[in-house]
This record gives sequence, structure tokens and C-alpha cells, in this order.
Amino acid sequence: MKTIEVPALARVEGEGGLYIGLENGKAIEVRLDIYEPPRFFEGFLKDRFLQEVPDITARICGICPVAYQMSAAYALENALGVKIVPQARALRRLMYCGEFIESHALHIYMLQAPDLLGKESALELAATAPEVVKNALRLKKIGNELLKTIGGRSVHPVNVCVGGFYSWPDAKSLKDLLPDFEWGLNAALDTVKLALTLPYPDLEIDYEFVALHHPDEYGVIEGEVWSSNGRKLSIAEYENGYIEEHVKHSNALHSHTVDHNTYLVGPLARLNLNHKQLMPNAKKALADSGIQLPLKNPYKSLFARAIELVHFYEEAIQLIKEYKPSGPAHVELKLKAGEGAGATEAPRGLLYHRYKIDANGMVQFAKITPPTAQNLPRIEADLFALVPQLISMPEAEATLTAEHLVRSYDPCISCATHFLKLKVEEK
Amino acid sequence: MTKVAVIGIGQSLRGDDAVGLEVLRQWRERFQETASRLEVQSEACELPGLTLLDLFNDVDTAILVDAVQGKSTPGTIHLLDENELSAFTSDAKSAHGWGLAETLQLGNELMVTKTKVRVVGIQAEQMTLGTGLSEAVKDAIPIVCEMLEEEIHKALCE
Repeated sequence: MKTIEVPALARVEGEGGLYIGLENGKAIEVRLDIYEPPRFFEGFLKDRFLQEVPDITARICGICPVAYQMSAAYALENALGVKIVPQARALRRLMYCGEFIESHALHIYMLQAPDLLGKESALELAATAPEVVKNALRLKKIGNELLKTIGGRSVHPVNVCVGGFYSWPDAKSLKDLLPDFEWGLNAALDTVKLALTLPYPDLEIDYEFVALHHPDEYGVIEGEVWSSNGRKLSIAEYENGYIEEHVKHSNALHSHTVDHNTYLVGPLARLNLNHKQLMPNAKKALADSGIQLPLKNPYKSLFARAIELVHFYEEAIQLIKEYKPSGPAHVELKLKAGEGAGATEAPRGLLYHRYKIDANGMVQFAKITPPTAQNLPRIEADLFALVPQLISMPEAEATLTAEHLVRSYDPCISCATHFLKLKVEEK
Repeated sequence: MTKVAVIGIGQSLRGDDAVGLEVLRQWRERFQETASRLEVQSEACELPGLTLLDLFNDVDTAILVDAVQGKSTPGTIHLLDENELSAFTSDAKSAHGWGLAETLQLGNELMVTKTKVRVVGIQAEQMTLGTGLSEAVKDAIPIVCEMLEEEIHKALCE
């Protein structure tokens, strides 16, 4: 027996469905049903020891495991009143650089650019422009190599713990990566140039942008939660400004602001709110591009990712050069009952965690608000705006057009292989 | 020296999708001598996506162990080579998901890898979060480990 009747080797996470309800040819309802795993994890974490949390939550996503580890670690450190040593903080930023690099390179070249260039997939792009795709894979691989050097594995790295890191990575192994990073910085600058040539559909949306802001660095870990509407909250106050609600059609929670607004997290929000904190090369690339901020076109989040790719290559080079481990990599934890919140910027947007722990360090309550839950109502609203175009198209074309828009948000429909199934219903 | 990579793929928390990781673990335990050979590298990978291609560096043969979703009885073992893989397609071009077939196809397209690929697939019964392995899949693991061991030795002799 040599063949299998089935089309896919297993890497299935769930299905997304787009439902459009029409009345007299006009959209009255748009629902994006997506599968989302964090809810399961919230229950799963109960009665687990706090030190297990970073590695368990990392399993939520194969693309951004570091984000889950980091938000979890900060939340639990806040619950215990622990502050990590400065070199551990710098190493966390460096590790995050690796994740941004691999995630952004993947999204720019393998997921969104083929859409914009009218290619069915990166496979088709590879057939016509193999050098571009080869460079993209190298750009991505360098990010994974960094994760492997710090975290032992390129997918689902370990080593981050509550209190810092389990051990310091070898300084020489990190410094050996520098030539690759110098190459990557130039390739990232070329990516910005490429991003400027892509044909983006016209679409401007008046978003409320929300991102972590830090006065001294590009907001990724720590800082305040800023909104383009002027709301500034500490991370501990996040839930005073942003509320999650169950909606009937989805097993993902949907978020909105206390004013009942939809809002957007992710690269556009970060670039618009934090461009002053970009590294010099990234800042110059942005200035040279002639692009005016705020950027309001969701498709142009590719450009924001390209600028961030430059930033994170540049920051990684700096952090590797400055890396000087000394003393213990983590502070000893004194267990006590408590509650703490943590938020960091995952490549696809703000990721918030909150935990309650008992005196033995066992988790009693967990709340995880992933970026996609925050963006979902906004994505639905954008799809609603797109409906008049969609209903005049053949089904396959309509599905693809809707997918392009959804994909530009880089949602963590966590590696969902089967993506949109479009259903239009006339009432 | 012929180099062989043994790669267990899967998701530890998603029912039978964890079988590739579990096979790797049990194989390492049962066949320690092979697992510790310099020319044999083994790695467990959760959702590797395109990173899989990086694991083929300087490797002559890569043997991948993964769960498959098909119509055969749960626990059925499939042994596939590259040519048979070319028939595999999935909808993975969509979100982040780069399926195994697409990843290998991309590697071939770009000629970034000349690695020979063999896939040991185990038919899954369910891939539900938090359920653990099904009995039929568990029962298949010892046989899969023996097949894997045999495939590794075949590859080392090539």
C-alpha cells in the first residue's frame, strides 16, 4: 500500500468561515468564524505551577511562541513583584527580535506579497522569482537561528522563565551570527524598497490604533498601552480600557474599547504610535520612503512590517554587540499569592495575559487576550465595507478577495490551513 | 559520511497530532545506540512550517514522522517517498500554515535542498485539543519505531 487518498498531511488547526447575510442585495450581517486556541489554554493552565506557564502558552502558536512566553513571564513576575536583571531584559528584547524577524519575513514574502502580486502562493512566486524567495527564506532563517541560539530550538524555543532565563546563551555563538545579521539588515532595507513598489488596493479606514508604547525604545516589552484616541493606560489598567465579550458565532472572544469602538493592534498601530522610537536606519528608511503617517490602509501593513524588519535587524545587531552576561540569569523566586498582568507586542499585535496565583505558585486563574481577538471585530467591520464588491464577484474571486484582506491583518488563526469558506445567504 | 535526520512533527496538545513527537521520543529510548550515532540527528518539531527546510542542511536523507488525516483505519502506517508526496496538496497557502507537502515542494522549487525525503505517516483518529493519543494510534507506535529504525539503517547504507 503506497498511496493515501487524503490531500493533506496533518497540520490542521481548524476552519475559518466567512458568512455574509444579505437583505435586498445589501449586507445586514458579516461574521468571520475563526478557531482560536487560547480559550482552551486558560482552562488548561489552572492548577499548573507558574514556572510551567511560559512553555505551555508558547504552544498556542508556532509562529509567535516567544510572545506568549514573554507576556506570561512578565505577568507572573508582576504577580510576585519580581524584577529581572538588566541583561536578562536586554536578552528578552533580543529574543523578541528573532521572533519579529522570522514572523515578518514569512508574512511579507510568503503570505502577503504573493496576494498583492496576483500569485496563488509563494510557490508560484518561487517559480518566477526564485532569488526573491531564497532571500526571504534566508531573512527568516536568521531570525530562527537567533531563537535557536538563545532558546535551544528554532521552533518553540525554551529558556525563558519567570525571573529571567534558565541560562545565559553562549556569547561567542551569538556574536558569530553578526555577519548574517549585517546581511539581513541590508536585505531588510531592500524589502522596504520592494514594499514601496507593490500594488496595494485603495482602502483607508479610520482606525483607533492601540499599541504598547515605551518612551526610550520601540514598544515591545513593558511601557504603557497607548491609543491613537489619546487613552493612555498602564498594563495593569488594560482591562479598564479594553473589554472582551463572547459573541455567538465565534469561539473567539471579541474585544472592544470601553467606548464600544473597534480598534486595531499590530504593525500599523505600532508604526503610527511609536515611529519616533525606531532605530536610526529604520527611521531613515521611513523618512526616505515619503510615506506619510498615520498609515490607514490595512494592506499597507506590509510596509509597516518591512520597516519593523529593518528595526529589529538593527536592534538585534546592537544587542548582540552589547551582550555581556554575568551573574545568575534569573532571580530566585519567593512564592506568594498574588495577581499580575503582563503585555508585550507579538508580531501581530498586543498580547495581554493576567494570572492569579496561590501561595504555592499554582495558577488559579488565567486570562489571555491575543491580538487576533482584539482585531476580529475590526476585520469584520472591514469585510462589511467590502461586501458591495464581494457580492458582484464570482464565488471563488469573492473568497480570494476577502482572504486577501483578512490575511493583511496577519491574524493568528493559528496556522489554520483551511481558511475561508464563504457563505452568502439572501434572506 | 551519509547523514540522516529523523524529524518528529506534530502538536503535543492536539490529540493524535502528537504521534510524530511521541514516536521520536520512544524511538530514542528504544534505539539509543542509533540515536546517539554522530551521523544521525534527531529533532522534535512542533509546527515547524518553513523552518523544516533549515533542518535539511547537509543532510542526505530526512525521515519525517507525522500524523496524517485520511480515510484509512486509525493507526494505519504509511511509508511514502518524495514522488508520492508530490501528489499531496493542501489549502495551506492561506494563513500561516505551511503544510509539509508545500514546504517540501518549495524546497525543491528553489533547489535549496537535495535531501532525500521519506515520510512515515500514521493515520490519526482525532486531533482534538487536550485529548491525548487514541488507543489505535498508541498501539501503532512500537511498530512505527521499528520501521523507523529500519529506514534509518537503509538510509545510512545508501
